[in-house]
Amino acid sequence: MYRAGVAAVWLYRVTFGALFPTTCKYHPSCSQYAIDAVRQKGLLRGSFLAGWRLLRCNPWSRGGFDPVR
Amino acid sequence: MILGSNPLTPLEHGMRHVLNWFHFTVGLPWAWSIVATTVVVRMILVPLTVRQIHSMQAMQQHMPRMKEIQQKYKGDKQRQNEELMKFYRENNINPAASCLPMLLQLPVFFALYYSLRHFAREPAADHPGSLGFLHFIPSIAAHTTTHWGGYILLVVYVGSQMASTLYMSATADKTQRTLFMIMPLVFVFVIARFPAGLVLYWVTTNLWTVGQGLITRRLMPKTPAPSLARRTSRTPPRDDGGGGDGGGNGAAPKSPTPKPAPPRAKQQPRKVRRKKAGRR
Repeated sequence: MYRAGVAAVWLYRVTFGALFPTTCKYHPSCSQYAIDAVRQKGLLRGSFLAGWRLLRCNPWSRGGFDPVR
Repeated sequence: MILGSNPLTPLEHGMRHVLNWFHFTVGLPWAWSIVATTVVVRMILVPLTVRQIHSMQAMQQHMPRMKEIQQKYKGDKQRQNEELMKFYRENNINPAASCLPMLLQLPVFFALYYSLRHFAREPAADHPGSLGFLHFIPSIAAHTTTHWGGYILLVVYVGSQMASTLYMSATADKTQRTLFMIMPLVFVFVIARFPAGLVLYWVTTNLWTVGQGLITRRLMPKTPAPSLARRTSRTPPRDDGGGGDGGGNGAAPKSPTPKPAPPRAKQQPRKVRRKKAGRR
């Protein structure tokens, strides 16, 4: 099931990720984090974690090393 | 894109309301309504981008060290990023790039895409030429390449995309940056199938990015002489505008020495200069 999530992230990467070039302030990047999260925690929880990470990836946050725990 | 048509309907309606307001209430032609909507969206995002720009300025000071570290861990991308993050933390840098401002633009993009598709089906009720733009795009709802004017728009798109990339990814590493620069040339073939209005949105948002970069560069002074000298040995001052750090720039400090103090000391006189420049 998690494959659907991973596929969605890849779809994003090859389309909008490439069209709107940006780099992430976190490591791993948001998209990689989403893949890791979905793989490790399952589609539902992983998606939630990925969404939360995206919200944290804003100009006011500090960024840094932040793997899925 | 066809998949998500239902969940995106509210977005489409919202976009249509905004476009209608600009067209019927303000009295702008449809094409200019798109430009106005784009400008409004970017204006809403200004608080986010201003913060980003401040971060960029702070990062400029550290560029030489970052490049140094980037070189050091050239072979190991993962290590490069980790070390870079460490460097940011030690030097109290808030990386300029972040995903959220970019993602916030995606719903607008989708909404516009669907709105324009409907435009093509039910042509605007006003008068036949109402979908045109500056006399060279006959219809913003038609595919970009259906008219020679569309090709001009595509050329402008490629140029503006490359220019905005210069500002948005200047601190990214070379390979990544080159890739970002080549991307528009590849995507132009995909974009040619999009409605011209969507390309218009793209061009406007890119130009806004470029304009924002130019204005901030003028308002905010460049790095002080010593680090400027170091930077010039590498690349022209364009590197200053760098926004996209986090992802690709690898740079780890050789030693976690107490660097925070000097940058802060440099920042203070800067503020004074900025004020002066503003008054002039």
